Amino acid sequence: MSAAESATAIQRNQVDLLDFIDWSGVECLNQSSSHSLSNALKQGYREDEGLNLESDADEQLLIYIPFTQVIKLHSVVLIGSEEEGPKTVKLFANREHMGFSNVSDFPPSDTAVLSSDNLKGKPVVLKYVKFQNVRSLTIFIEDNQSGSEITKVQKIALYGSTVETTDMKGLKKIEDH
Amino acid sequence: MVLEATMICIDNSEWMRNGDYSPSRFQAQTDAVSLICGAKTQSNPENTVGILTMAGKGVRVLATPTSDLGRILSCMHGVEMGGEMNLATGIQIAQLALKHRQNKNQHQRIIVFAGSPIKYEKKALEIIGKKLKKNSVALDIVNFGEDEDGKPEKLEALLASVNNNDSSHIVHVPPGQNALSDVLISTPVFTGDGEGGSGFAEATAAGSGVSNFDFGVDPNVDPELALALRVSMEEERARQEAAAKSAAEEASQHDKGEEAQASYSQNETTSVTSTEKVADPMDEDDALLKQALALSMNVPGSDLSVGDAEMSEATNGHQELAMALQMSMQEGSKDSSVQSDVSKVLGDQSFMSSILSSLPGVDPNDPNVKDLLASLPGQSELQEKKNEDEQAEKDDN
Repeated sequence: MSAAESATAIQRNQVDLLDFIDWSGVECLNQSSSHSLSNALKQGYREDEGLNLESDADEQLLIYIPFTQVIKLHSVVLIGSEEEGPKTVKLFANREHMGFSNVSDFPPSDTAVLSSDNLKGKPVVLKYVKFQNVRSLTIFIEDNQSGSEITKVQKIALYGSTVETTDMKGLKKIEDH
Repeated sequence: MVLEATMICIDNSEWMRNGDYSPSRFQAQTDAVSLICGAKTQSNPENTVGILTMAGKGVRVLATPTSDLGRILSCMHGVEMGGEMNLATGIQIAQLALKHRQNKNQHQRIIVFAGSPIKYEKKALEIIGKKLKKNSVALDIVNFGEDEDGKPEKLEALLASVNNNDSSHIVHVPPGQNALSDVLISTPVFTGDGEGGSGFAEATAAGSGVSNFDFGVDPNVDPELALALRVSMEEERARQEAAAKSAAEEASQHDKGEEAQASYSQNETTSVTSTEKVADPMDEDDALLKQALALSMNVPGSDLSVGDAEMSEATNGHQELAMALQMSMQEGSKDSSVQSDVSKVLGDQSFMSSILSSLPGVDPNDPNVKDLLASLPGQSELQEKKNEDEQAEKDDN
């Protein structure tokens, strides 16, 4: 199931951007303290189906992820349950310290409405041209599938490529000769 | 030392004219606000504090979050009382002010002084609280002043909807003797979840007359002075314990001798302490030394071996030694002029050096020891004798 989907993502030479996340700056507004962002984002935790990111006061979530270097974002994978998984997801590139009050102030770089396939692991392919030079990503989860009070996200994975390291690999090949 | 931006919401409604907090509710509130501002800026220099008033013509921001304590305090002058407190609008505007803070890394906190009755319903307050929690703003509520039915419950409901991991607090301050500020100092409003503000709380407590420190000296302010005071106090106490024990043993008979000896050893101890703070074993040895010499003064010569044997245990059993010394002293007869005899014995440098050489850890050739010996009030002619005798002793040893 997930092997086929992840294969399509990897085919295009995209990598899991987990290694490039600047963990010191990662923030999530309206998360429940016992079910925090690490459950959905961190290696190992995100594979565990019992560990979810859950919202607290209402169903919206605002996730801010800075990166250690500039990346290009190709696709995202959001895994959640049929009812409480996210539905409308807006992505903002390079907007720092957003709050719930200014999510509607500027248009998102991309919007995705997740289907049940997506929630099982099918990657959402984004408008690549909008994410060519991403230093930080803000994910605004506006609502969930069933409209319940709490949104639960089991896994968030980002796929893309880095801007600098592509060149380095090219250099190395020449050196081998 | 949490990095925090705080907005303080002041109640300046008509209800604050009441005098049930001295001198008036408004004045007590102002004092509390000043203290909080000081505590916040002191616990972390990058903290910022802002002030707004909730009553009057409408909610008015007096100062946006700033770390300039002077500006904050001065903006509170000339605030007039009047109108009714508008809690919901006040909190919302405080939240807006915090949103536009310059340092986005600061945590957001609102402190509300609720002195007048609350005209909002619990539901409305809960919605406000949820919005604060969603934007990760902490809320501290100071419930004082007017005691209306349902006010505590409303405020508790507001707190429950905001509270996330105990970052928000509520304090109920009933009117009475204690000033509002004093009550607040010990609460988490001041101490900020137990960290940072406690040092400031201690300082303010000292400033207000209640000193928490032994000597009225704050170790944070003057550590060397505090340390010196404590060391000399401990030494005095140790010496007094020994003297007290010996006095208890002696009872009526040799009181005068005890005091003289005790005072003499005290003089020696303090002079030694002032000259050399390093060698603690040496200080104790010196005190015991004087006692041993006083002992041998009564029964010279034959007690030399006893003195040596006892002095070898000097570093271990001070109390036992003191007791033993006193018991031996009881055997001998007591002179009335103890002072001169003691000094004469101490002037007997040959005896001194022999005692010293038997002491573990004391090197007679140590210049400190030599200085000590020289400083003893022995006669000048004995100085020469001491040098000769030391030579003889060394040859013998």
